[in-house]
Parts: sequence; C-alpha cells; structure tokens
Amino acid sequence: MTGRKLIMTFPVTATSHLLADYKARGGYGTLERALREMRPEQITKEVTASGILGHGGAAFPTGRKWGVIKPNDGQPHYLCANADEGEPGTFKDRWILENAPHLLLESMLISAYALQVRHSFVYIRGEFDLPYRRLAAAVEEAYAAGLFGERILGTDFACDIVIYRGAGSYVCGEASALITSIEGKKGYPRNRPPRLTVRGLYQRPTVINNVETLSNIAGIVAHGAEAFRTVGTAKSPGTQLVSISGHVQRPGVYEVEYGYPLAKFIYEDCGGPLGGGKIKCVIPGGISTKVLTAAEIETVTYDHAALAAAGSQVGSGGMVVIAEGTCMVRLLQVLLRFYHHESCGQCTPCREGMGWMHRIIDRIVAGEGRMEDIDQLIRISKANDGTTICGMGDAAGYATVGIIAKYRDEFEYFIEHKRSRLNGRLEVVQ
Amino acid sequence: MKHLIPEFDAMRKRYPADAASSLVLPCLRRIQEDRGFVADSDIAELAAYIPVPRIQIEEVLAHYTQFRRAPIGRWHLQACRNLSCSMRGAEGAIAHLERKLGIAPGQTTADGRFTLSTVECLGSCGTAPVVMVNEAYHENMSPPRLDALIEELRK
Amino acid sequence: MIEFFINGQPVQAEDNQTVMQAAKANGFFIPYFCWHPQLSVPGNCRICMVEVEADGGGWLDIACNMPITRGMRVLTDSERVRARRKETLQFITLNHPVDCGICDKAGECTLQDYHYEYNGSPSVSRDAKVHATKHYPLSERIVLDNERCIMCTRCVRFTREVSRSDALGVQNRGDHSLIRPVEDGAFENDPYSDNVVDICPVGALLSRQFLHKARVWYLKPTPSVCPGCERGCTVNIWHRKSEWKLNALDQKQNARIDRVTPLENPAVNGPWICNKGRDLAQIFERARAGQAMLKGRPVALQAAIDSARTLIGAAKHPVALVSSWGSNEELAAFHKALRPRFSGYVKPDWLPAPGERIEDKLLIKPDKNPNGAAARALFPALPADARSAFTPDTDLVLVWGEGFSFAHLPPNAKIVYLNSWLQPENGHADVFLPISVMTERAGHYTNFQGVVSGFEACFARPAGVADAVTLFAELAQPVRAGATA
Repeated sequence: MTGRKLIMTFPVTATSHLLADYKARGGYGTLERALREMRPEQITKEVTASGILGHGGAAFPTGRKWGVIKPNDGQPHYLCANADEGEPGTFKDRWILENAPHLLLESMLISAYALQVRHSFVYIRGEFDLPYRRLAAAVEEAYAAGLFGERILGTDFACDIVIYRGAGSYVCGEASALITSIEGKKGYPRNRPPRLTVRGLYQRPTVINNVETLSNIAGIVAHGAEAFRTVGTAKSPGTQLVSISGHVQRPGVYEVEYGYPLAKFIYEDCGGPLGGGKIKCVIPGGISTKVLTAAEIETVTYDHAALAAAGSQVGSGGMVVIAEGTCMVRLLQVLLRFYHHESCGQCTPCREGMGWMHRIIDRIVAGEGRMEDIDQLIRISKANDGTTICGMGDAAGYATVGIIAKYRDEFEYFIEHKRSRLNGRLEVVQ
Repeated sequence: MKHLIPEFDAMRKRYPADAASSLVLPCLRRIQEDRGFVADSDIAELAAYIPVPRIQIEEVLAHYTQFRRAPIGRWHLQACRNLSCSMRGAEGAIAHLERKLGIAPGQTTADGRFTLSTVECLGSCGTAPVVMVNEAYHENMSPPRLDALIEELRK
Repeated sequence: MIEFFINGQPVQAEDNQTVMQAAKANGFFIPYFCWHPQLSVPGNCRICMVEVEADGGGWLDIACNMPITRGMRVLTDSERVRARRKETLQFITLNHPVDCGICDKAGECTLQDYHYEYNGSPSVSRDAKVHATKHYPLSERIVLDNERCIMCTRCVRFTREVSRSDALGVQNRGDHSLIRPVEDGAFENDPYSDNVVDICPVGALLSRQFLHKARVWYLKPTPSVCPGCERGCTVNIWHRKSEWKLNALDQKQNARIDRVTPLENPAVNGPWICNKGRDLAQIFERARAGQAMLKGRPVALQAAIDSARTLIGAAKHPVALVSSWGSNEELAAFHKALRPRFSGYVKPDWLPAPGERIEDKLLIKPDKNPNGAAARALFPALPADARSAFTPDTDLVLVWGEGFSFAHLPPNAKIVYLNSWLQPENGHADVFLPISVMTERAGHYTNFQGVVSGFEACFARPAGVADAVTLFAELAQPVRAGATA
C-alpha cells in the first residue's frame, strides 16, 4: 500500500461517481457545515495552515496564492480548476474527473465561498471526452440538487460553474494562457506582473488551482489543517496522485503519501520494470523534471524536499519508467518534437529555440549530427532559462540538460557512429 | 449556424455579463460538431453574433489543433506518438495503420472513411498505445486490437 | 515620484512608470523591438532585459513590464545584460534571411542597428533557416515578408488599439506563426494601414509604392504638412539628397517625392498619418501648368501678369475665390494686396472623394483642405450655392487654386486664374498664371485646432511658374500708363 489515502478512499464502481453515492459517502456535508458555520476567511486560514502545495507542477503554497485575493474589494473574483492535464505522462487529474467529480465540485464550492467567487470555471482539455461528460453530468446533478446557482443550501451564497473545453493546446495548461483561452482567444501566456490573483480572467482577481489541489480542500476543511498535516511529511503534507506509465508492469493512477519510498513504489506497488529487466532511469513528474537513475531512486523518498535534493522535482506527478536498453537520444527527440509543436510562438527564445533544438536532434537521429550539437543544445536550453514569458521554454531546457547530463555518452556515440548505440529503441526488449 | 443560435443564447447566460468573448471556443466546437468542420460562412456569422472581431476567430481556428476548416473522413484516427505511447508500441501501431489503410498521417482514405493523424499526449499514458477515434479514446491498441477496431468502423 | 537607480545614477520616476519608460524619459537607452510608447506592452521580443542588482545575485527581466520600486538598482549594460542581448539576437537572427542587400529597410533597420551595436557575431547555428512566404500581399499597399518578421506584433496591436480595424492577426503558433490579414479584406480598407510599415522594426512590412525605389541613405526628409485635411499632420517628405542627384538618372527621379512618413507631433498627430498623406505624390506629381496664357494663347509670364494687372485695375466689382490651400503667408499677402479691391470668399479646393472616409476619432477630419480655418479668418466662406457669391455687377473673378467649376462663373466677367495644375479650364481664363505648389516653397498652415505647423521647400520651382506671395503684391500694383492690355 502506498501510504494513507485522502482522495482514492472508496472503491470505484459503476455508480461511485454519481451524486447519490457521493452523498452516501458523506459528500457535501462539509460544504453545508462550511456555509453555515464558517466565515470565508476561516476557510482560507485553514487551507494556509494545512501547508498544501499545488499539484499542477509548480508546488506553490495554495494558501499563499489564496491570500492575495482581497475580500470585499468590490470586484468579481474568479476561480478556475485547471483540468488541462497536457503534461506527457500525466493522467491523474483524469481519475478525479471520471471517478470523483463531486469531490472536485464540493471542493470548488467551498473554495468559491472562501474567495468570494460568483463564477467558477473548470478548464478541461478538449480531448478529454469521457471526463468531460462525467463532470458535466455531475454539474447537472449538483444544480438539480440546489448545490449551484442562487441561495445554495438555503444560504446567501450563490455560485455558478462553467465547464470550459479546450481545443488542443498544451500551453493552455499554463495558468495565464488558460485564462486567455477562457477569454476566447489564442492560448497566449501573459507576462507577470500583474499576478493573476491581482488581474487575471477579464482583468479580475483570479485563482487557478490544479484539479487535485482543489479536490483536497473538502478534506482539509472537513478534518482541519492539523489532521491534514499528520499525513505526508512536514514540508510535503498530504498525498500525491501519481500517474505512472512507460516500462512498468502495472501502470495507472496511485495515491502516494508523501514521504513514501520511491523505489518501493515503483518496484513493489507498480510491479517494477516491464519485461523483467532493469530500470535505466525514471522521469519523476512530467517530462521537464530531471531524470533519476536507477541508483538514485534507491535512496529517495517521494516528497518535495527529497526530490529537490536529488536534483529533480515532484512536478505534475506524471512518472515515466524507462528500462535499460532505451535510447535516450530518441527519447529526447520525442520530447523536443513535442515542445516544438506546442510552443505558442510569442517570445523569441522559445519560438526560435524549440524549433532549433528539434531540428538539431532530428539531424542527430538521422545520422547527420555534429559534435558541437550537444553543447549547442545545452546553450539553447540555458538561453531559455528564466528568459521567457512562461515556463515552457525553461521546461524544454531542463529536460534537455537533464538527459544530456546523465547520458552524454549516448549522444556522442550517435554522432560519431551515425546511429544509436541501443538500436534507437524506445520499447523494452521482451 | 442559425439553427444553433438558441443553444448559443442559452450558453451566453451561463457566463458573466461582460464575458461574451468567451463564447468563441464553445460555439466553434458546437459548429464543428454539427457540420463536421467550421465553414468560412460560420466565421462571419459567429463574429457578428457574439460579437467579436473576426480576426479573433480566425486566430483561434489556426491556433488550436482540434479545429478544422475543411471536412475530413468519417472516422478520425488520432494516434498518440508521445513518450509513454512510443515506449509501448505507438510507432508500430501507426505503421500498422498506415499499411492497413494505405494512407500516411495527414491523409484520408479514398472512400472518405478514415483520416489518420498523429497527435501529442492524450493523457492516457497508462493504457498506451492510445488512438482517439473522433471523440472516444481507444486504449491498449495493439495491432490485433487495431484490426478489430477498423473492422468495427468499416461496418 | 519614486527614486531609483539606473547604472548607479539616481532617477526620478513617475508613479506607475515601468523601468523602460523611466529610462527613456531620463536619457538612458534600453533596446527594444516590440515595445512602442503608443501601444500595449506584449513583452515578447526579450531584447530589453536589464539586470536588477540584489543581494544573492540579482536577476534579469524585461524592462518594458518592470514596475519600479523605491531604491531599486537597475543595470542596463552590465556583462550579464550584454551576454543576454547577444543570445537574444542569436535567436532573432536564427531564421532571419539577412537579405539586407535587397531589403528596403536597410539603413533604417532596428535589427541591423542592434546587431552591430550588441552582437556583431555570426550565427552559431549550422542548420538551414526555416523558410516562409517572401512576398505575401497583405493589401494592395503593403507587402509582407514572413521570413524577415520577428513576430513583435506591433502591426497587430496597431490595428487593434490605434486604427481599430482589427485587421491583422497571428495565424498558427510556434515558429510556424505568421502575420496574416483578416480574411474579409478589412485591412485593404484601413485608412491608417501604412503606419505598420513605419513601426515594423525590420523589413517585413514594406510599402509597395516605395518597394525597391531608392536606398534610404540617398534620401533626405524635409519637414512638411499634409494638405489632405484640416488636421494638418506633420510629415516628412523624402526626396533625393542633392549630393545623390545622379545625372544618369531620369531627372524626374531626382526631383520626386519618394515617400512620405509621419513627423512625430504630440500636439497634432502623434506618430501617425493616414494613407492619404502617404499618397501625396499622387497630388503633387500631377501634370503641372507651366505656361502662362491669355485665353489659351501662350505668353511670357511677365506679359500675363501685366495683363492681369490691367484687368484688375479696370474692374469695378471684382470677386476673388480664395484657395484653402494657400499658406498663412500667401493668405496674408493676398489679403494685404487684394482685399481692398476684391470681395473674397474662401473656396474648398478639394471635396471628399467617393468612398473617402469623412471623419473619425483618430486623425481624419471632414474638411479636405489644409488651411481653410486660416483663410476663413480673413475671408468669409463661399456660400453653399457658389453662384450667390456673384452679383450681376461682377465684372472680374480672380480664381485662386483648383476645384471651382467654371460653369458657375458669371458669363460676362473676366477671369484671372491662378493654378498649379494642367487643367482644361486654364485655357478658358482671360489670364492664366501658373503658380508654385507647397513643396516648392516654405510656409505655414493652421489646423482646425489653431495649431500652426511649418513646411519647407523640397524642390525648385519650375521656370515660368510664379511664386504666389510675390505675385499677389505685383497684381495689386497699379498699371503704368502705356502698358499693353
């Protein structure tokens, strides 16, 4: 077992996502208590005290983000759940949308009450059809039960929700691009300042939180910050939904308590590497997080501090297991093709840099690499670090630098011999 | 587009009052669902209905990969070739589809039944390789399962 | 006011200024492509990155969007800033065709200037450049080279925020991004479209009128005023420098208007003009009247002037139709010389053309003449029914400037016609005197708000053509006994 559970606390059945089942599990009881017995600022205080960090990748303290919203400032506030989940290897928010949509909705209602939000949004990537239909059905159920709209549960609290479907753009998972997309435009990220909590959607104070982050709010308010903090570690309270895939026996979504040993998770809970071979390395949480070698994962616990000390990150929770024999040059090629495809094109370093890196790696894989290409890739990566409008340029750079740092010899071999040392394999040898 | 206006009017009421511009994406999605693609005439009509500058709609159509301005085959096979899918057989799956259908990614079969595309991560990495057919995800698509899928779709 | 430091020097900034604005206002130069003082801040080019000193190492960020805090220490030219600029320029020139040899922008190109100033190194890329459309017809007037475009989006923002035609946008994403016009052709009808050519920092947006006509370093700009309407936007008229007049060239090329650009003027037009101002050559390079005539018979200029004086001297009820294109100086001279004898009315030399925009909130005004206000300060306006300017006693009409239908002239009056343009009416006047145009003299116009702007001469007056100021004084002199009629 991967530690204690806060989200995946019930067996998934044919009806467990429906309102009746959710209520039978105690659902919407916390909302009722919050509306009747708590003031908005008490809720924000509880969330801050819980120490919960964002689960979208940046791990920003949620309470601190919420704290920027000024109560009673006379303007509309907006709340958006980020269900864009485009990070390769990441499919854990999808679990919540399909199986626990009401947990998200109840949490969003509590959050909207805390942040004085009248209109809330869920931005869901356009490709997610079943998750969208499950969530839309849940929204309809909730409206029918008087849980959205005016005078919710007979109180003065009113809130509406719109599920906004994306249409195929990874960059719309970035908070400011997400907002611009909801405004009906191209998914262009924005420069900060201003912070989105000051001027966001339609230039109003806006909180954007990941689906999983929000889904924890009901539990934090139900049981209190102290109870939440008993789970996980001091600096990483709570749990993380981890989506694991790649060369692993039992891919899927697991809820892992922070602090749980990473090696145990991968080898025992997930069955270890596919094909009975050895693990080469693991991408811990989204393709921009630095790969950890098999040796490195042996000693690391799954939490923010430990992964940072190991030179990587928890990130989006999208874990990818890579078996021995996988060609890291071809692997980087897939990543750089992805970043090139998804660059929005606004700012110079990313717009030009992504295409440049993709062309270089294509050349290397085609047997036309030059030795200076490796340092060129690193130079371009560094030129995208801290120089761009959003984090995508940096992300591509981190992925590149991370892989080259640990597998430079494969790149040198490919260039010198005009072919992969590992036959260009991406699939595991069975 | 005219017959969709009542739906669009109802949609408009769900948004904040000064947020009409938001209607661009959901209306385009609905138009495409209805017609199969977004026609040039839809652009002018939608711009006038919301209203937003026409250029905004043109930019949106060119930015997001799911919108198209011309019809495609009845079944749109969108095969993921991102990381986990590539590590679990996506390249073979795509090659299999190319051979079976006789088309390359970006093309449509002569009978208009199938269009093949390669796409980036669909968020279903645990059941790789994944092929999205129109709106639905088809997971664990080994060559035998692909064959069964094509047979089913050919009916 | 907030005090902070740029390169160690104290600077006073206004509240809500960015570092870019405060730097510029205080004489510090920070390079920029996408930033423009009159447009919103997209912060996409990244060339304006500056260093902020702080304990622990400080950081670099774009100056155009950087708020100022009290006491902050900004460096605009440190080692780190210079290194960052070089990298940014490497990216900008990565896919840039660098075809300066055939690019009109050479010599006034921000990218060229910054390359020499801040980079100077060859490209570190050994990969082929990405190609795009070289000659995309953005409109009849403007051609777009997508390879040279650095996606600063100034042109797009101009159409959204200034001209409000919403006619340009960005298609696609990443390095496939392309500036494209809206598909219904609205950019064709944007009367301010050509301003995007000025604000494009590279040679991506080019004026078709000017395409491959001349290198900019052969040309000099002469300050002038656009006569297209009563706004009186100040402009620069570009023509060949005297040291670059080539004998080998058709002489017409040595003395033509090569292009017109705005002359920035905070009081009148800011940095913009409308397309009519760009097309001044269409006005000033029409066929000129160069020959004085008496009822169509060519005579020497002096002979014609003498005839005119005789007619004027003999007239008992002369009427003058005053040109609303006359400069303040010409109007003053006319008023001084001829008002005592003439009843004068100001006529509109130009009326709006079919389809021409009458008025808008930006620059365009309904009176399509540059000096109507100044003229009407001296003479009444011509009545709506022009014929009511004349009485049965009117025995002489002096028509100054074009635009008056001779059909409305009283049939029994003598006509003295002062005009610059070759027109059929010239031959019908009893006396025809060819006069100079605006580009051949210095003067001033007063716009509808009372702002006075000056223009200078670009070209020499052709031989046989009179200067209007001296001409009016001469016309008013009494006839000497013995002069022939």
